[in-house]
Formats: sequence, C-alpha cells, structure tokens
Amino acid sequence: MQVNLSEALRYLGAEQADAELMASVGRVASELEQVAQPKWRYRIAEVEHTEAGQLAAGLCLTGEMAKTMLAECDRAALLICTLGAPFETLLRRKQARSMAEAAILDACGSAFVEVGCDAAEQEIAARFPGMYFTDRFSPGYGDLPLSIQPEFCAALDAQRQLGITVTESLLMVPTKTVTAVIGISDRPQMARIRGCEFCRRRETCTLRKGGRTCGAS
Amino acid sequence: MELRELLKHNSFLILDGGMGTTLQKNGLKPGDVPELLNLERPELIASIHQAYVEAGAQVVYTNTFGANPLKLKRTGKTTDEVVSAAVKLAKKAVGDRAQVALDIGPLGELLEPMGQLTFERAYDLFAEIAEAGASAGADLAVIETMTDLYETKAALLAVKERTSLPVLVTMSFEASGRTFTGCTAESMARTLEGLGADAIGVNCSVGPDQMGDILKTICRCTRLPVIAKPNAGMPDPVDGSYSMGPEEFGKLTAEFADLGVTIFGGCCGTTPEFVREIVRSLNGKQPAEREYDRVSFVCTPVTPLRIEGVRVIGERINPTGKKRFQQALLENDLDYILELGVQQEDAGAAILDVNVGYPGVNEVEMLPKVVKKLQSALSIPLQLDSSNPAALEAGLRVYNGKPAVNSVNGNAEVMARILPLIRKYGAAVVGLTLDSGGIPQTADGRVEIAKRILDTARSYGVADEDLWIDCLTLTVSAQQEQAAETLKAVRTVHETLGLQIVLGVSNISFGLPNRGLITQNFLIQAMHCGLTLPIINPNQTEMMDAVAAFRVLSGEDVGSNAFIQRFADVPKQKAAPTPTGKEELTLELAVMRGLQGDAGRIAKEMIQTEEPLALVENYLIPALDKVGDDYEKGVLFLPQLLSAAQAAQSVFEVIRTALAESGAEPVKRGRLAIATVRGDIHDIGKNIVRTVLENYGYEVIDLGRDVPPEVVVQTVEEEELRLVGLSALMTTTLPAMEETIRLLKKLPNPPMVMVGGAVVTPEYARHMQADFYAKDAKESAEIVKKVLG
Repeated sequence: MQVNLSEALRYLGAEQADAELMASVGRVASELEQVAQPKWRYRIAEVEHTEAGQLAAGLCLTGEMAKTMLAECDRAALLICTLGAPFETLLRRKQARSMAEAAILDACGSAFVEVGCDAAEQEIAARFPGMYFTDRFSPGYGDLPLSIQPEFCAALDAQRQLGITVTESLLMVPTKTVTAVIGISDRPQMARIRGCEFCRRRETCTLRKGGRTCGAS
Repeated sequence: MELRELLKHNSFLILDGGMGTTLQKNGLKPGDVPELLNLERPELIASIHQAYVEAGAQVVYTNTFGANPLKLKRTGKTTDEVVSAAVKLAKKAVGDRAQVALDIGPLGELLEPMGQLTFERAYDLFAEIAEAGASAGADLAVIETMTDLYETKAALLAVKERTSLPVLVTMSFEASGRTFTGCTAESMARTLEGLGADAIGVNCSVGPDQMGDILKTICRCTRLPVIAKPNAGMPDPVDGSYSMGPEEFGKLTAEFADLGVTIFGGCCGTTPEFVREIVRSLNGKQPAEREYDRVSFVCTPVTPLRIEGVRVIGERINPTGKKRFQQALLENDLDYILELGVQQEDAGAAILDVNVGYPGVNEVEMLPKVVKKLQSALSIPLQLDSSNPAALEAGLRVYNGKPAVNSVNGNAEVMARILPLIRKYGAAVVGLTLDSGGIPQTADGRVEIAKRILDTARSYGVADEDLWIDCLTLTVSAQQEQAAETLKAVRTVHETLGLQIVLGVSNISFGLPNRGLITQNFLIQAMHCGLTLPIINPNQTEMMDAVAAFRVLSGEDVGSNAFIQRFADVPKQKAAPTPTGKEELTLELAVMRGLQGDAGRIAKEMIQTEEPLALVENYLIPALDKVGDDYEKGVLFLPQLLSAAQAAQSVFEVIRTALAESGAEPVKRGRLAIATVRGDIHDIGKNIVRTVLENYGYEVIDLGRDVPPEVVVQTVEEEELRLVGLSALMTTTLPAMEETIRLLKKLPNPPMVMVGGAVVTPEYARHMQADFYAKDAKESAEIVKKVLG
C-alpha cells in the first residue's frame, strides 16, 4: 500500500507546496512504506437496537450518531487499523534527526492509516456481496464516546492481534491507530456524516483552526 | 521429575492448549476479566486443567495471563489473591500428574520509549506476580505472548531474581519473522539465553503453518530447549472460528520436532483435542539433533549484529578532552549526547561506545539514563564503557537487547567484579591486555594476559565468542616500537586464540601532523592482522573509506556492492551546486533555505571575527523572522519552517561549542518550561515548538510528555520561571491542562501560561484562564518574545 500524498499534504496544511517540499514528502512517504504498512483486524457482530444504545459484540454504542447510522443495519463491522510500533520508532528516529522530516512523517502516517481503513473496508465489502454499508464512524467523533475505546479494543483482541493498548486517558498506543464502526444493511445507505465534528482531519485542519470551514461534505 | 531435569533429558515435553478461547466458549464476554474466574468459578478452571492433563499435557498454565496489578485495578482484587487462587486450584486439579506453570502475560501497557510504563515499574509489577506464584507453590513460571523484548527482559529478571523457579519464555511473532515491536527471532533467542531463560520459543499470533521459519532461526541461535505453542490458524473475522482442525494442527506442530523443537503445546483456538493430536503425531518421533550457530553477537531488538568481518565501534560518546561534552554531562543535556549518537549511526557505526564518566557526574544514574535516551532513537547496539561496576550493572539492566561492556583486564580483582555481571546479563565483554603490572611492552606479554582473561572468563561461564580482546594502541610519536608490538599481538591473539579483536585506533597518531593519514594506515594494517572491531570516529570519512576498501579485499563485500554504492553518490554530491552558487551563500540564506551543514560551516568562519551575540542578533534572528513571515503568508510551510530552525540550531551549536571551549557563559535570551500534559503522549507538536523556540535563542526546559501538574508547578518554583507552555492533543487530556493551569495560578507569583495543541481553541484557552493561545509554533515564538523579550 502507498501513502496518499495529496492527503498527506492536506494534513500538513501544505496543499500549495513547491516542488522541493513535494519531493521531501514523497521521499518520507516511501521510507514510511518500507518500514510500516497498515494492518487491520475486524469483527462482524450482530446489532441489537435497545433503549440504552446499539449493542454489538458486547459493546454498547450509545448516542444519536450510532442510532441513526445503524438504524437500518442488523450487523456491523468493528474495525481497528494501525501502522503499529514501527511507525513510532521511525518517528522517534526522525525527531532526533530532522524535525522537518518528522512533521512530514507524522502527516504521512495520518494519511496512511486512512488508506489502510479504506482497504479494510473494501475487504469487508467483498465478504458481503449485495449488501450496503454505512460511512465509517469512530469513537470520539460525533456523540459516540471515546470511553468505549478499551472495550472496543478488547472486543477485537487488539493487544494480542495487533499489539495495541489503551492508556488510562483513552489514547491508543501505537498512536497511528484508528477504530471504526461500519454498519451493514440490505438497503442502500445514504452518506450521513457531514461537518467538522465528523471529519477525520478536524484535529489538524488549518481552516478549522482559523474558525472557517471548507464547506465540503 | 523436576522440570530442569526433564529439560536436560532432551525428550519431548507437552504443554497445554488455549485457556482464553476456551473460557470464551464457556460464556466469557469481551471486557470480562478472565482471571476472576479463579475465584468465582474455580471448578470450571480446574476442569479445563484436568482435560488438558488427560489429553497428555505434562505442564498446565495457570489462568493468570492478565493477573497483574494494572489489569486487576478495576476489579478490587489484589494480584496475590488472584494468583494464589489460580496456582492452588491448578495444583489441586492436576495433583502430581502434571506440573503447574505460573502464567505471566504482557502487562497491557506499553513500555518506554513508546508507552509510559518505565522499565523499573514493569520489573516491580512482574516481581509482584512472580513472588505470589512462587509462594503459592507453582512448579515453574512461563512468560508468554510477549511482543516487546524490553518487557520480556523485565519479566525474566523479576522471575530470576525474586524466585528460584525454572522459567520458559515465549514471544509472539508475525509471519514476517518479527514481533509487533520489530524484534527479530535472532535478537530474541540470543538475548534471552544470555539472561538465563531455561527454554525459549514462540506462541500465539500465527498457526503452525506460518511458524516454521521463525522456529528454524531460534533453533539455530540457541542451545536451550525450544518451544512451539501456535494458534489453531487464524480467526475468521466473520464468525470468530479458527481455521485449523485438531488433526492438521497436531501433524504440523509435531513436524517441528524435525527442526529440533522439543516442547509443544497450543495457544488461541486450541482445545484438549489439539493437544491429544500433537501427542499422537509425535509418537515414534525423536528430537532432531541441532547445530548451534556460534557467532560473536550483540544486538538491539531490531538489529541483530553478527560480528563476521570488520564492524566499526563509534568512539565519540566520551567526555575525555571534550569540553562541550563535559558541559552537556554536567547540565544533564541528553539531547546533545543523542545527537552524537545519531551522527555516528548515520555515518556507518555498527556499535557505539558509551562513556559518561566525569568528575561531578553520578555515573550510576547517568549511564542508564543515557542508554535509554540513545536506544529511543538509535537502532544499533551499544558498548557500555565504564570502570565502575555499579554503573555498568545499572546500564546493563536497562539495556534493551544484548550489549557489550568495555572492559575488564588481566587484574584478578577487576575480573572478579565485572565477569559475574557479564554472565548474569548475557553481555559481550572487552578484555584489555594489561594488568596491575601495567601494559606489557612485548606482544607476547599481551598475549599471555589475553589467555589469562580467556581462562577466567570461561570459568565464569562466559562464552569465547563473547570475549573481545583489546591489544592496546600506544602513541607512535612517544613509543615508536610499540606500533609493531601491538600489530603482532593482534595477529597472535587472532590466529592462536580465535577471538574478536578490538583496538582504540585513533590514539596511534597523537602529537603528529596529518593525524588522519597515520591513523588510517594503522587501521588498515591492524585489519589485515585480524582487527575486527576498530573503535574510531566514524565521522572521519577516510577511516570509513579504509574499512569499505578492506571489506572488498577481504571478500566480505560480495561483488563490491557496498563499496560501489558508497562511492557512486560522491561525485554527485560534490557537483550539486547550491542554487545561487557557494560564493554567494550568506548565513541568512543558509538558514532561510534550511541548509544545516552550510549554516554551521559559515557560522564557524564568522565566529572568528564576530561576537556570538551579534551573530544571533544581526544574522540569525532576521533570517528566522523572514522565514516566519513567509510561513504566515502561506508561502512556506511547516517543514520549511522547521528546516530553517534546525539550520539555526547548527549555528547555535557552533556558538555553544566556541563558548564552552573559552569557558564563557552560554548565550541565553530567557527561559521557559514546556510540557505535554498528564495523560497525553502525543508530543510531536510540543517538540516542534521547542525546536522553533530554541532557535530564537530561548532556553527551553522540556519536561516531556505525560507530565503531572505537580511536576510543572515544582519546576516553575525551582527554576523561578515566568512563562510555561502546555500542549494537549486529546479532548480527554484537556482537564489535565486545566488542572495544571489552576495549580500554577495558585502560586504566590504565578507565571504566564500559553497553551496550544490540536484540541485547544482560543475560547477554551480563555475558559481555562491561560494567558495566551498559540495556534502554531510560529505564534508561540511571538508570544515568548512578548513575555521574555
């Protein structure tokens, strides 16, 4: 798999980069691709719609987002995707050598783990021909609380399967790790996720920091 | 029969199969704590143990995989309660039909440098488990499903030091041959044997169909019995079932006997039926003879280093005669030391010598700190260089992998102090050919001492390949005849004793003009006499060139590929002009373009005539301001801002070195502390801010990541700071930021606080009563300028 370079530039806030910077991003990206590749595990669970929330694999997905997203789904895929420890090691090595390259690597990592999620999603889709899928949505976005992260990781046996742990402050380590839910339905699903609250770039978006939005999605 | 006896008999030993997956079948839910079942449903656990014994298991693992203080915290049960119950119920269930192994799994939090758990804390946690298991009567301990060699070492040391139990160690590898943290099978095998495991091997992660190559490597790299405990294939994500049936599993697992594996069992997805199939398939098989691959070796988890030819040891991490280094030690400036390590690794050193002994420095504290710092960003092995046994032991404990130690010598007392440490921590050691009588003036005298060290090392159980002999370089301008004696000693030790040879080469040319030429010549001659581990400055190109050429002539560099590669790039580098031509390149331009090497070079010339402060005020700051403006305007982006900052840093390093040499006070524009708040481990943003601020000349006290509020407050008080910068990346760590500010504002003379980070907004900054919000590193520099001037 390869880093999506234009995504990496967006994470870096440098869509207008000159040729030299683009070349640096390309170089760092291929170094990253040599060292780490996205890995994922997923699990298909039946969804039970209850007052308290949507139950799947022993997890209770609370809030309006999960309710709306999974309204027409009787199953869901719980997904976890990571660049793993080798990314962290490379980032530490880079920080000791060149902060400029470290900043580029960080952006490439964020873009790369999303590439992994896309590939995982395709793999899941291939297992369910004829079915329809909701957008991916993640704990910590919208009103799906981050506090389910430990149970989410446990449900996927993420420590044994991928070496992922969750800290007391609910951070996943290694850091370039994404958890997500994808609803599976027999009816077409509309794209529902809109706005900054759901955008995976929200934490690094320069527009948002300046109080503006891109108006897209 | 006692387990160590069983292992010696070189017959097969059968372990049990999966516990966790069996419990899931019995209704265990994700998020439940399986270890509590020892207290709540002991009869269920006992029945699983019994079923495995009936299937043929000679060892059962207690249901204590996650029974550690971290994972049990939310249950209200102590580790001792759970572990004792588990061991006792297992003993009762199996009686004398099988041995009971105290099962120790990973702690569930990652160790430094990736995670927050320190090595020392991990050791204490494992010690608690080990002691509980031993006093409850476990027959042995197993450390299993490990993916981090560092955590494995903490666990192994704890079991070895706190109990007398035999201990089996298995790690979990991916099909690629590495663990999740990148540890290789060879590093794992040689490190764990050195640390005193009784048997080692592989469990979990993959099925037997993907484990063969990893087991083959381990069987080659250890003399210990080898364990295979695979999963029943891979789980299917859709229905959770494992892909392999008992019969296929048993057949494939038993085939590992042909590689020399003697200990067998199953992991996730396996049941008593799987164990029965292993026993059935082993019927009639004999353990295969194994051939041990004897090689001089040191490693980090990711870099197994076989000494098969010349390997350069970098000499630069040593304060002798270096004022700047001495200053760094006294100021606890570990970043400077890391920088020296980075340069040497990037210049091609295979091992780094690490010496931090200097008057006024507590070496027992400093050596382990430096080892951890270097290992956080380097991948090559280290050679711990000290005459202080306590410092060496402190360094050996925290080293991740198999290190070397520099040094022992022919003095019996020195050997009696150091060699037990070498044995205990499984290190390699340099033996200097001198003793209480000094350095023998003849080659024969030095060879005699080498023999004596070899004999003594053997008596301590140190393998020949782990003893490296240093025949000692003397200065040729003072004792000219000694150069030939040294070379003769090198040849004799190499040819008659067959040991690796170390030499500190650079010393040869002291006091002569054109030192590089003499040193290079001596290096080449010594390599031809059998020198394999030259201790040199790898930043000196002519030395590394000589090594590259030697590797071609010795045949090690097959097809001269590495040599061609090394010199293919050289003309290109020389030809590449800077955009405006070198003559026109000014300090400002070099900084603005982020040309680190050029900026440092020009600064070195300029500091001959300019005052350091003038260099900063008149050239550096204007250049950085221009870069900052362009960044604001969106003409330049973050990486370019940082490149410029690092070029400026190389100018500051020139200034610091010049000032250290002259003994003058460093240039400092003002001080502040920065920290990533408690609970948050994303520190790249904070590090970016630091890089930028340092290059405006501010002294930044970097408190690191996951910093408790109290530490920030204490630092502000002790250092009398007027400004603090706090960073947070996650919404979950904002409360920690708020608390830190609240405590800071309670001080009698509260400092200004600036905050930033992904989730912090100007509104929230105001709400937390921060004085400033910085949207990026550039803005933080403006704030600092406003506050500190």
